[in-house]
Amino acid sequence: MRGANAALGAAGLAAFLALGEAVPRLGLVKEAYFPPTSRIADALGQEVTEHAFWTALGDTLTGWALGLAIAIGAGVVVGLLVSVVPYLREVTASTIEFLRPIPSVALIPLAVLLYGTELRSVLLLVVYASFWQVLVQVLYGVQDVDPVAEETARSYGLGPWARVRHVLWPTALPYVMTGVRLAAAVALILAVTAELVIGAPGLGARIAVAESSQAVPDMYALVVVTGLLGLLINVGARTVERRALAWHQSVRGEVAV
Amino acid sequence: MRRLLAGLAVGSFLVAASACGSSGGGGASDKNASSGGTTTVKVGVIPIVDVAPLYLGQQKGFFSKRGLKLSMTTAQGGAAIVPGVVSGQFQFGFSNMTSLMIAQSQNVPVKAVVNGVASTGVAGKDFGAITVKKGSPIKSAKELEGKKVAVNTLKNINETAVRESVRKAGGDPSKVKFVELAFDQMPAALDGGRIDAAMVVEPALATVKSQGATEIASSLVDVAKDLTVAMYFTSTQYEQKNPDVVKKFQEATAESLAYADAHPDEVRQAVTTYTKIPAATLAQVTLPKWPAEPNRASIEALEKLGEQDGLFKSTPDLDKLLP
Repeated sequence: MRGANAALGAAGLAAFLALGEAVPRLGLVKEAYFPPTSRIADALGQEVTEHAFWTALGDTLTGWALGLAIAIGAGVVVGLLVSVVPYLREVTASTIEFLRPIPSVALIPLAVLLYGTELRSVLLLVVYASFWQVLVQVLYGVQDVDPVAEETARSYGLGPWARVRHVLWPTALPYVMTGVRLAAAVALILAVTAELVIGAPGLGARIAVAESSQAVPDMYALVVVTGLLGLLINVGARTVERRALAWHQSVRGEVAV
Repeated sequence: MRRLLAGLAVGSFLVAASACGSSGGGGASDKNASSGGTTTVKVGVIPIVDVAPLYLGQQKGFFSKRGLKLSMTTAQGGAAIVPGVVSGQFQFGFSNMTSLMIAQSQNVPVKAVVNGVASTGVAGKDFGAITVKKGSPIKSAKELEGKKVAVNTLKNINETAVRESVRKAGGDPSKVKFVELAFDQMPAALDGGRIDAAMVVEPALATVKSQGATEIASSLVDVAKDLTVAMYFTSTQYEQKNPDVVKKFQEATAESLAYADAHPDEVRQAVTTYTKIPAATLAQVTLPKWPAEPNRASIEALEKLGEQDGLFKSTPDLDKLLP
């Protein structure tokens, strides 16, 4: 079953790549703006031999990982605090609803003014975008706690910390993991966007330089790299999620089938 | 879960550590690090041919022999450079004259310190031009009335230049429809007929020409003879606090400009170190001029035209702005 799926997937990808090769060669689109797959592959081969490419990849991953780590940490802590203290929830609810829909990219001018083209600019955007993903999921997760389980824990004399550890956290964890998976993807998008628009060092900035240099195949090659990076991050996040929730029936169920 | 958190923490730490180890000018260097008599200054530049003398001068040691080390940061367009310099993230920046004059007229504390780049002053052989598609019926700038013309930034130097070309050709610049488009997107837009003409600079100009497009005016030449297009600048605050660093930067840059002007082949080589311009395109690129001194008369002409077109809220004070 798995092998067949993989084969189908590979066939689909091959067809897509062949299409990418054929369409410009047949003159359906201009080769100058949409180079065939083989030329993009050549440019990609050239890219990976350059030291500057790996530096840029490292810069992008740094911005992504640091930003994501901060967002997850802050999201979980703030989310738990807000939901455990009822008073805080009332105070923050409308503020969260006001701040959450602000698109992170709208903060680019602010980031430029505060931090210029430094890593901190990227972090500001990445953290802002991915923080809400985690926070909101934590809030949903805590709301989902079974009141009977909570009361049972109370009557068995579990303290607040033990209740968080044994009742609240296991209920909220699947939600948190969903938030983390969404945040991981959003963080990459924002990291590359910040580099592309602001010019902070990284793959995005390299794409922009290739674009302004009229080096079209190089530009597509770098875009492909960011796509692959997104794919890897998604696969990684799913693996982490499956591991962390191995005890949960949603995952156990999946494995049994 | 504890294992997961630990894993995440270790993972992100490793990535951060490995990236820090390999990134050269990525942002690890701090603002004013001086070690062994060397002052590191951050310069905000745009990854285009115009700033090649700085890279070349750095290679040739014109900066290090004066105790300066440049840390070049490439920003996309000038939008990030002026705020970067004013807020002190960069000590110096590269910007076109109209942007600097607009900033000065709004009391943004900027101070031009040394020449950046100038037009070649030769019509038909400049690094920027108004171009039309191969076979276009438009033959002169006058015919741009009622047509769509792309410039990289509205209400800035290139719009002023196009307006002047139209005016000089006997047309009415207020009838031109300007659209904003990045230089690198102009070749495709021109080719696809989405715009009637484009004010392009190198290397997009070389690309456009290779598609058979024709030049109808050298707008930067039309503004003034030997127009000073852009300069390196600092903040007035930095200039007052560090007059000796500014002086060294001026001298070293002037030497670099003169060297670049005399060694075009080395310039083309230097360009490959910070852009990805393909070799075939680079060979076709028309290099700008790099005189050591700004041409004040040309800047005054640019200011008059900008004022006529309503770019400035108040008249920029050139005595305060220029070195």
